[in-house]
Amino acid sequence: MKKKNYLKGVRVLLALLFFIPILLFFVDFADLLPDQTHVWLQVQIMPALLGSMWIALIVQLLLSVVIGRLYCSTVCPAGVLQDLINWIYGKCRTKKNGIRRFSYHKPMNVLRYVLLFFTLVSAFSGIASVALWLDPYSNFGRIASNLFRPLVIWTNNGLAEALMAMDNYSLYQVTVSTVTTAGFISGIIALLLFIGLTVWRGRLFCNTICPVGSLLSLFSRKAVFHIAIDPESCVGCGLCEHTCKAEAINSKDKTVDMSRCVDCFNCISVCAKGSISFTAKQTKKVEASVQPVRQEMSTTTNSRRTFLATGATVVSTLPAVSALAQALHQEECQCGDDCDHANCSHKHGAGNRQGHKNRKKWLPITPPGSLSIERFKDLCTGCHLCVTQCPSQVLRPAGMEYGFDYLLKPHMSYLNSYCNYECTVCSEVCPTHAIRPITKEEKATTQVGVAHFFINRCIVHTENTDCGACSEHCPTQAVQMMPYKGTLTIPQVNPDLCIGCGGCESICPVRPMRAIIIKANDVHKQVEKPKQEEVKEIEVTDFGF
Amino acid sequence: MKRRDFIKTSVMAGAALTLNFDKLGAALSSNSMAVEQVPDMVAIMGGEPEVMLDKALNELGGIGNYIKKGQKVVIKPNIGWDRSPEMAGNTNPKLVKALVKKCLDAGAEKVTVFDHTCDNWQKCYETSGIEKAVKEAGGIIMPGNDEKYYKEVQIPNGVKLKSAKIHEALIEADVWINVPVLKNHGGAKMTCAMKNYMGIVWDRRYFHQNDLQQCIADICTWEKKPVLNIVDAYRIMHQNGPQGKTLADVATLKTLIVSPNIVAIDMAALNLFNQVKKLDLEAVAHIGRGEANHLGTTNLKSLNIKRIKL
Repeated sequence: MKKKNYLKGVRVLLALLFFIPILLFFVDFADLLPDQTHVWLQVQIMPALLGSMWIALIVQLLLSVVIGRLYCSTVCPAGVLQDLINWIYGKCRTKKNGIRRFSYHKPMNVLRYVLLFFTLVSAFSGIASVALWLDPYSNFGRIASNLFRPLVIWTNNGLAEALMAMDNYSLYQVTVSTVTTAGFISGIIALLLFIGLTVWRGRLFCNTICPVGSLLSLFSRKAVFHIAIDPESCVGCGLCEHTCKAEAINSKDKTVDMSRCVDCFNCISVCAKGSISFTAKQTKKVEASVQPVRQEMSTTTNSRRTFLATGATVVSTLPAVSALAQALHQEECQCGDDCDHANCSHKHGAGNRQGHKNRKKWLPITPPGSLSIERFKDLCTGCHLCVTQCPSQVLRPAGMEYGFDYLLKPHMSYLNSYCNYECTVCSEVCPTHAIRPITKEEKATTQVGVAHFFINRCIVHTENTDCGACSEHCPTQAVQMMPYKGTLTIPQVNPDLCIGCGGCESICPVRPMRAIIIKANDVHKQVEKPKQEEVKEIEVTDFGF
Repeated sequence: MKRRDFIKTSVMAGAALTLNFDKLGAALSSNSMAVEQVPDMVAIMGGEPEVMLDKALNELGGIGNYIKKGQKVVIKPNIGWDRSPEMAGNTNPKLVKALVKKCLDAGAEKVTVFDHTCDNWQKCYETSGIEKAVKEAGGIIMPGNDEKYYKEVQIPNGVKLKSAKIHEALIEADVWINVPVLKNHGGAKMTCAMKNYMGIVWDRRYFHQNDLQQCIADICTWEKKPVLNIVDAYRIMHQNGPQGKTLADVATLKTLIVSPNIVAIDMAALNLFNQVKKLDLEAVAHIGRGEANHLGTTNLKSLNIKRIKL
């Protein structure tokens, strides 16, 4: 008898409950969703791990001990995305070639546990994060923010233009300016990887590459509730095996590898005999047949042995890893800003924001709340959520300009925008706390960089005309116009007031090199709050003309 | 005279005639002309923005002198900064609200309000209170944040600025009213009616690169000129402009100045400003350049100014 399968319904419902808000949050260019939506992202395991959100993490791990890797089919947006890809692929094919195209494969334990170990080790030792490349959530984030989001914005722009003809401005034009080449490529690669692996072998990503999947597999392999095949009623037709996108069901031996099962419950639906159940009972299997159990035992011990072996290997290579990390750190310029690079072997000019060859290496400017460039690099997994949420569109994913270990991490780009004085959105939404939550007051005194003024390039100096655009945009009056020639005034920077928001740099009209540029603080500093001037009563009783 | 020149002149003359006829018609329909001459400028002090606007427009013969039934009207306030009304960073929302209502009451087909803001446009529209004010009054608040909203026009009489991309709401409008707030300005020294034009163009960088003061005077020579300039000096920012830091930058003067003459109104505003902070006409060079561009006079004595204290 075919069973009614409520479990699958619940799984799909949960998946949508997580996936839809997460997807919408990433493409929400109009800031319609509440900032609190980011709670859905803080339960993601990799961010929880990096952001030290232990409760979320422990709950997830305990859940997988009890019910297996339901996380991978519901909470994880990359998992759900793969299910969607699989579903669409199945719709386009016959059942045999589509939705039932899978067959049992042995787990690739060495590969997956090596990757897990490297991810964990790098996460704790803080080298260029392996997590950035492997974390499923961050990969999904890059797909959503660099591919889906522009599509939504372009659709919006088309509709806005149509509505404009009717004098309706509820929709408005939005320029896609936060998608950088590196970001776009990373999104394409991630999407193609997911499509390719899913079409080829279902949840192969989750069961070999994904460190979160591998971590959970350690807890789920002996899950209390698990998928069990009743050997008495099973006729060995193999439908369940061919439906299992985790390729975890061995229909010959009638075993299910719970370390790879993602609790999609498709097998329960497909079994014509109703032999498959999600149960806590162990006894029946043992009584039924000795052979499969031994088989299962052996795979379990096998993978545990592999896990321990790879663990030992990786641990023994740790000194080498940390040495490598050290080497990477040292490769960065230590000679500081005043080095004139004639005899300096480092790659100067690589991080130059203005594209000038002879410039010093400029460090990336990290958002307020990230505390220091090093800390930010260690915690950011490049999910680009902050990039999508920044109302000023000032955060942009980096390419190689700041080195490989800053690749795809966002930095403040002041080319045509600046960091709003009153805004703390990125710090509120960052799931890994790479940007720590800060208050508006803290933000107003956090100096992420300092404006540097180059008088020889300034319009007032070169053209003898008024300008003052930089001072205009300075929210703290750190850039003030001081008397110059005749009635002309020229900017002067007070570094004690500057917070490095980039207002001045973004508006400076001088090209190709701007006359005022923010230089990053590698460790953020605190500055004085602008002094409150006494409010004087000014009385004017006449027009004066 | 060549035929081409002849045609050109005739067309120009024709255009001039229509303009004159418009004004004559307006004067006739308002009746006030027959009794006393409409002043060149009205300055009012001591009331709430909407009260002063009402008085000023009455002195000028009513809004009907400027807005005709079925016309598309644009009101261009200063909404440049993410600042609340008390900070005087933007035009007073009460004034904008009252003006939108007046235009609609005069039979305007629609009244559109926009600005090319400096801070994030949505924040500016919201914090300034202007978005809410316009919507409450029945007007349309339009975005100005994207180049798509701007269209290229020629500025044949500009000295440095020969063309500019101007917001399409203005290009399509029949008439527009310029509603600046009076402020100190780090670059232009003072921002008022002429400087407010910078919010109708897309590429402001060109202005800063090519003699800011001259470009301000040049953009004001664009053929479609505001029928009125209404200077909001209810609160003025006398230092640290155009953004301002604290309330110490603000002086409450409760003043409103209205005039179709843009150079004269900026001159008057400068004189008012000088009572709070000293500022030379020479420093606010765009006013003099505006006069040189034949946009109006700085000689206020030559004008008929009506001054009212409430």
